[in-house]
Amino acid sequence: MDRTYLIENYKDMSLYDDIDKNLDVLKTLLKQNSDVIFREFRIGEKKVKGFLVCVDGLVDKALINNNIMEPITLESRKLDDSYLSKKNVYESLLNYFITTADIKEEEKFGSVVESILDGDTPVFVDGVDKSIIISTKGWEQRNVSESTTEAVVRGPKEAFVETLRVNTSMLRRRIKNPNFIIESLKVGKYTKTDVAVAYIKDVAKDEVVEKVKKRLNKIDIDGIIDSGYLEELIEDNPFSPFPQIEHSERPDKIAAELLEGRVAIISDGSPEVLVVPTIFVQFFQSSEDYYERYYISTLFRVLRLAAMLMSLTLPSIYVAAVTYHQEMIPSPLAISIAAQREGVPFTTLMEAFLMEFFFEILREAGIRLPMQVGQAVSIVGALVIGQAAVQAGLVSAATVIVVALTGIASFSIPAFNIAITFRLLRFAMLIIGGTLGFFGIIMALMMILAHLASLESFGVPYLSPIAPGNTRELNDVFIRIPWWVKIFRPHKVAGRNVKRQNYTRG
Amino acid sequence: MKKVLALFIVLSLFLTGCWDKKEINELAFVQGIGMDIDKDKMCNITVQVLKPANLATSSGGGGGGAAAGKPYEVYSSRGVDFAKAFSNFNTELSRTLFLHHNEIIFIGENLARSGIYSMLDFITRNPEFRRTSYLVVVSGGTLDDLMKLSKSVEKYPYKEILGMIQNQKNTSSAYVCDINHFVETLETEKVQPIVGRLEIVKKDGKPQHARFVGAAAFKYDKMVGLLTEEQTKGIMWMDNLIKNTSLVLDKGPKGDRTHISFTIIKANSSITPKVNGEDVSFDVKINFDSNMIEQNSMYNLTDLKMIGSLEDLQQQKVKSEVLDALNAIQKKYKVDSVGLGQKLQEKYPKVWGKLKDRWDEIYPNVKVNVSVKATLKRSGLTSKPIQPR
Repeated sequence: MDRTYLIENYKDMSLYDDIDKNLDVLKTLLKQNSDVIFREFRIGEKKVKGFLVCVDGLVDKALINNNIMEPITLESRKLDDSYLSKKNVYESLLNYFITTADIKEEEKFGSVVESILDGDTPVFVDGVDKSIIISTKGWEQRNVSESTTEAVVRGPKEAFVETLRVNTSMLRRRIKNPNFIIESLKVGKYTKTDVAVAYIKDVAKDEVVEKVKKRLNKIDIDGIIDSGYLEELIEDNPFSPFPQIEHSERPDKIAAELLEGRVAIISDGSPEVLVVPTIFVQFFQSSEDYYERYYISTLFRVLRLAAMLMSLTLPSIYVAAVTYHQEMIPSPLAISIAAQREGVPFTTLMEAFLMEFFFEILREAGIRLPMQVGQAVSIVGALVIGQAAVQAGLVSAATVIVVALTGIASFSIPAFNIAITFRLLRFAMLIIGGTLGFFGIIMALMMILAHLASLESFGVPYLSPIAPGNTRELNDVFIRIPWWVKIFRPHKVAGRNVKRQNYTRG
Repeated sequence: MKKVLALFIVLSLFLTGCWDKKEINELAFVQGIGMDIDKDKMCNITVQVLKPANLATSSGGGGGGAAAGKPYEVYSSRGVDFAKAFSNFNTELSRTLFLHHNEIIFIGENLARSGIYSMLDFITRNPEFRRTSYLVVVSGGTLDDLMKLSKSVEKYPYKEILGMIQNQKNTSSAYVCDINHFVETLETEKVQPIVGRLEIVKKDGKPQHARFVGAAAFKYDKMVGLLTEEQTKGIMWMDNLIKNTSLVLDKGPKGDRTHISFTIIKANSSITPKVNGEDVSFDVKINFDSNMIEQNSMYNLTDLKMIGSLEDLQQQKVKSEVLDALNAIQKKYKVDSVGLGQKLQEKYPKVWGKLKDRWDEIYPNVKVNVSVKATLKRSGLTSKPIQPR
């Protein structure tokens, strides 16, 4: 058969009742692929023709051998003709022979081919224009392992992996309720990536679920390699430097957010699960906050917010104070800074900018290099930039301290994606602070604040519950109230079912 | 179009700025500025400029230390007025004078006696002078002497003096006045300011160190006389400025010559005017609590009578300080430094209205009744003195 014609039209073509034709079509489409296996066989005494197709490496071979091939080729001979006449051999296969649970029937070439490439195995029988699709997915995958990017001291250690089904199972294991719904769809013309939308009905807002599905369905891209693609394709304001969709590789965190009424978007091939709607303060909440004692969690939250402000403004405040507002520095400190800067050839702005620049290079180099080399880089960097540059009088010690503090502060923000946003904005702030002084810093902060206030994530204002304010929900922003008084879900997020619990303690 | 406009607005932000940029190491930090006038009525300004490189403790690791020179330099300048004198500094300094970190303004005795109004105008007009800077009158030497004091725990004289002033402020043993307070007093009707006084102590004709004791009484912007340590304390008792200070008795309850020291832990005072027809008098009431800290004799403080008589002696001592102060400001200098007139105005505005034009004549003869109530609270760790047998 003509391959180009087939490629264009196979999706809507129905299966033939002639098995040779079916085999011919599939062979034309797939035979070039070295990893596709065609297995032809005869069933029973009547020697009814049949075949199956699967992709080597995507399928669980033992399952195919034991639960499909063995019954068809060996067991079938033990039965009499009434089961295996040419007429009812298909029915018998469907009902008696194939010993796996997850099977379905398909009538179109499109879905047959898709299921083959998905790791399923279709079985064809002569004289029937249908095919039995047996779920035989079983490929090599990374084991569920400890979370590396969101490590905690206390709390579950396991993290999502690259396989969608494993990920959904981890969520399902945590939320055992028929109202927990995992819908799935495929995105990407070539990749046909499975994307699952998970939510708890009634707890999540219906509008949000609808909005998520609508936006996902609208995507017309050739492929989705990571959930990061999806994030960019469906977020509310694509031009903002701020991430408007949170992601996490921790199933416990995602489950907790589902319980708050959020909607999770799981993409096959990515261990990072997206959650919407997202608000700004979520990026400063670690899942550990909810497991550790609430006093400590409160302290850590305040600490992180302070670190956030520091990582955004510290270098700019330093530069502005040293070049414009020397009167605002306490006298002994001002004199000490002046002494350190004696003989430094650069202006403070230039100095701070260069140091920040080198620090970013160092950090980038450290991430990309293998672990052993990475350590060497950081030692060299620390020595060269920290010690030698100061001793050579190229930069002042105060600048190094400020840059180092800023770096450490930015590492203490739990969410990497918002930390890099602040990293980016820090450079802008630095230049503004060095040219416009405190006036400029305040102007820039106001602009950032105005922008944050204008953002929205799936219908929820980004800065809520701070602005628009809701005093009752502030109990999970700067502080973390104990679980026994956390009676309501966030109003802006949750759907009809707002109440979490009655006020009780065990 | 809108976007282009927005871009221009954003870009225009960057057109401003930078014009007042000063790198911190291009500034001459002034700590300690003194003003005076000389015989030719020319204004003099003396500044102590820091050399940060010589000040830093850890610069150059171990190599610094002895090699680092003097951490400050003294510059003087003359001019027809203070502004001119100040701008004259530009002719001899490589860096811009930076006054924001200065907290003390020294006033030469000559300037103080001839009136500090012009100086006050200069320093209140210039934003670089902090309004919380201390005003200090220097007696017993010139400003140059002051800037070159040799005896110092700190690295440079200014810091030594600042520490002194703050110490005295905390222990309330000398009068501390800042620009704000001075201006406020000057603008209050018929109240005369008092300014802290720094006395330079010389040894063999060379200035060695300074003492921050006593005060200078002003009439409007002119200094009229110096007050001793005791007189200053007397004024502070009346002004309710005593917080914790020491009180030393020089005679015991039996009239013997000994020294008994107390520390005041709590004190308050009030001045109440009394009007009887044309006759105005004032009641000064002082209450304070004290602890004993030292005695040379062996008075037994478990004896209630003894406590009573010690309290009595304390009261006498404080009363004599207050009367001494009143004598000085009322009779000798004729300045209303504690603001008796103001108290009268607050309570009897009508009477004040009649009297205020003649207040300068009335004030020296106004009767002031002083009553003191002392309470001895604790005797330290020993109640019975150590008895050698």
